[in-house]
Amino acid sequence: MTELALESGPATASPVLAPRRRFMALRRLVAHRSFQIGLCLVMVLAVAAIFAPVITGIDPSAMKVRLRFKPPSEAFLFGTDSFGRDVLTRVLYGARVSLWIGLVVAVLSGLCGALIGVLAAQFRSFDALLMRLMDALMSFPAILLALGITAALGPRMESVIIALTVAYVPAGARIVRASALVVRELDYVQAARIAGASDLRIMLRHILPNSVSPLLVHMTFVFAYSILAEAALSFLGVGVQPPTPSWGNIIAEGRDYATEAWWVMLFPGLGISLAALGLNLLGDGLRDVLDPRLKAG
Amino acid sequence: MAGDVLVEVRDLDMAFKIKGQRGQPAMLHVLHKLNFDIGRGETLGLVGESGSGKSTAGRILVGLFEPTGGSVKLFGRSITGPDRRTNLADVRSRLQFVFQDPHAALNPRLRVGDSIAEPIDIAGTMSRRDRGERVKELLEMVGLPRDSAERFPHEFSGGQRQRIVIARALALAPGFIVCDEPVSALDVSMQAQIINLLMDLQTRFGLSYLFIAHDLAVVRAVTHRVAVMYAGALVEVAPKNALYDKPQHPYTQALLDAVPRPNPARARPPVIGGEVPSLLTPPPGCRFHTRCPHAMPRCRVDVPVLRETEPGRQTACHLYDTDTSSRAQRGIS
Amino acid sequence: MTAAPLVSIEDLTVQFRTDRGWTTAVEGVSFDVAEGDCVGVVGESGSGKSVTALSMLRLHARGTSRFARGAVRYAGQDLLRAPERNLRKIRGRDIAMVFQDPMSSLNPVLSICDQISETLRLHQGMSRPAARQRAIELLDLVRISDAARRVDEYPHRLSGGMRQRVMIAIAIACRPRLLIADEPTTALDVTIQAQILELLRDLRAELGMAVMLISHDLGVIAEFAKRVIVMYAGRIVEDAPVDVLFNAPRHPYTEGLMASMPALEGGTERLYAIPGRIPDPDEPIAGCRFGPRCAHIKPICQAAVPELLAIGATHRVRCTPRTRSLGVS
Repeated sequence: MTELALESGPATASPVLAPRRRFMALRRLVAHRSFQIGLCLVMVLAVAAIFAPVITGIDPSAMKVRLRFKPPSEAFLFGTDSFGRDVLTRVLYGARVSLWIGLVVAVLSGLCGALIGVLAAQFRSFDALLMRLMDALMSFPAILLALGITAALGPRMESVIIALTVAYVPAGARIVRASALVVRELDYVQAARIAGASDLRIMLRHILPNSVSPLLVHMTFVFAYSILAEAALSFLGVGVQPPTPSWGNIIAEGRDYATEAWWVMLFPGLGISLAALGLNLLGDGLRDVLDPRLKAG
Repeated sequence: MAGDVLVEVRDLDMAFKIKGQRGQPAMLHVLHKLNFDIGRGETLGLVGESGSGKSTAGRILVGLFEPTGGSVKLFGRSITGPDRRTNLADVRSRLQFVFQDPHAALNPRLRVGDSIAEPIDIAGTMSRRDRGERVKELLEMVGLPRDSAERFPHEFSGGQRQRIVIARALALAPGFIVCDEPVSALDVSMQAQIINLLMDLQTRFGLSYLFIAHDLAVVRAVTHRVAVMYAGALVEVAPKNALYDKPQHPYTQALLDAVPRPNPARARPPVIGGEVPSLLTPPPGCRFHTRCPHAMPRCRVDVPVLRETEPGRQTACHLYDTDTSSRAQRGIS
Repeated sequence: MTAAPLVSIEDLTVQFRTDRGWTTAVEGVSFDVAEGDCVGVVGESGSGKSVTALSMLRLHARGTSRFARGAVRYAGQDLLRAPERNLRKIRGRDIAMVFQDPMSSLNPVLSICDQISETLRLHQGMSRPAARQRAIELLDLVRISDAARRVDEYPHRLSGGMRQRVMIAIAIACRPRLLIADEPTTALDVTIQAQILELLRDLRAELGMAVMLISHDLGVIAEFAKRVIVMYAGRIVEDAPVDVLFNAPRHPYTEGLMASMPALEGGTERLYAIPGRIPDPDEPIAGCRFGPRCAHIKPICQAAVPELLAIGATHRVRCTPRTRSLGVS
């Protein structure tokens, strides 16, 4: 065996680390085709909603009876409805309501779901109780559950938000619980336990941050479902009440003269479709970026 | 190596409740009457194959599991029995653990510096500035650049991550570290670096290790004494040279024979057949008798006990029983 | 004098697509496997040994990998360019493969009989009863006791060692001419590993097939292979008969590997550790990829990538200073 000239030194490896490549995940996300399209759609709708008052300058409740049922034209891009109100303006204001409800429901149900999921994974005694509760809630179709709650609380935007949040919390809790159960057996959690970490510290610092990736993806879909569900509820008359426009109640109002003034139903419907599509694409992008990375480690 | 005894294990039993055949609850006896000590500055190797229970034993010694029988004393304090919680809280800062898989041992969302300092943060004994200084000191000790603390685990290679894990283990200056297969998941060229690091740290800080591994060559290089486990029981404990050069228990011999050597010309000893028995339904008597080339009728009936065969060596095998009746059985005067 | 090789790999270069573009996992790999050969391929992670093995049967995913250059010649065809239906006839029948993880290599919802029969019925058109009979014979051949009963069991009832034997049974079912075993014993206990290696040795003798064993464990390679190929960072760095490699290695990496292994016989006070770490596949290194870690690096090593040159009838080395000192260039 030839002599090995180099002594191995004081156990030092080459202490040169690779140059930092920050935000790899973010870059991958932004480059993802579905994500790009989805983000564009959602951004367009969000901007339209935020700047609703200045886009047309028209009051959504202003009724001009002489201008009823005017089809889309230069003056009224989306036409007018049965009260002569500008449909474009109403759809823009409706976007505010629908998007806001979707966002709040997604965030609230995500937070509650995460909390419940992590608690269930950490404390097995709670697990049985919490999960049976979630199962019970999940066995109701979301719409029926929401109907019941809004009927009980009275038809308002806040009721819709509460109802939909309750309907979507169980799915989120399930997802987080599944992740959390895996994470809690990982070595770094054991390391924290060996060092004497309290349950709270382990849950907040180790389990929660590493269990939420699938939940984030899920939340974009909940956003989309909420928009659809709110539309259905308002359509049925138990959601947002007129004259406050929401995509659902605009469609409801337009139902009676669907053949004469098809534009009243079309445009809010388009809005709902585009929002749902955009959010789904966003969610797909998120999922593709987050999942394989989790496995690659 | 006499010094004081840091770890004292007596008749350690560990059983888990599981669902046995047909869904009925059953007890899985993972550990059976373990007895060993570890002194200050000593490395005890714990070797065995799957089902030996060596990992479980390691985890019991850092308080992750509570034994179902027997006693364990760490630094003189008993962690079995009524005072387990208080005693464990007291000695915790002196115990640590190095994991096998460097990719699972670090929280991917925490910066490396925060992971290393976690034991310090939990103990709450240092100021922010001291903590930062200590993290840099630890990084240097394990051969990583001082400014690594800001980075995340995925920016490091497997070997480097293992160094981070070791840095975390050293954070509170422990006296006893359980290393569970610390180099098995690393490339060969990286293993030597980490082994050298562990040995240097032992010399520098007077650490004691329980070195759990299946690679017998690595164990020989690193340890002072070695304990061999089979199907949950200790079969042999001896100083390393004695164990490797003159193994007593037939399983130890089989294990040594089975290790492939980088020597193409070596005559290959016979390969032992059979597999590790199911722990749910272990064979009666000596658990190894079904595969043992020296099995006697007695082995099927009596469970051998770990007995001193020479000063400093213990073996659990009927072949070494000084009982005259068994000698007569073997036809030896 | 030498018969045509069974499989000939020429200048194999495989690239994978990552977010940074195409990275090269294997570069310029060339070697032959003769009829009945016993070849060991040894390397650490990133060496490209598994990628090479998978390339021989063109098992890589289409979209994310490509063969930038090279050919894998078998029975007059280039397996890298042959139509898929030709490859299907070869896989499992002429060239078979056994993988590392027996836990995930078997389908958990099919019985052992079904899984072995699948190969037999596909390649040899056997009827169900005939395939079942043959499956039992195969289980006997791989030394699974009580084969007639075991054949109907499901994978989860078997231990790791037994699952690996089943994998081998499936692989040899059609008497392949080459068996590629990718880390077949890495996930197994050392006593079971010894059993499986003995089984592979015996099967090779009985069936007259060539075996290519891939491992990171030099001990396994020493006890099994007759010829060893050492790979590092995607390239072959040394190729020699096993006794030559272990007694007189010529590449600094091979030497370093051997020196860093603790000896079971003892006497190692402090281990030699190869400094540095294995480079990322896309890390730009001028010249020899082992250079940054080599104790004997010279300027020539960084000037150009060393070529794999023959320094004997059966010994090749990729190291410019070494080949030069032996009078070869």
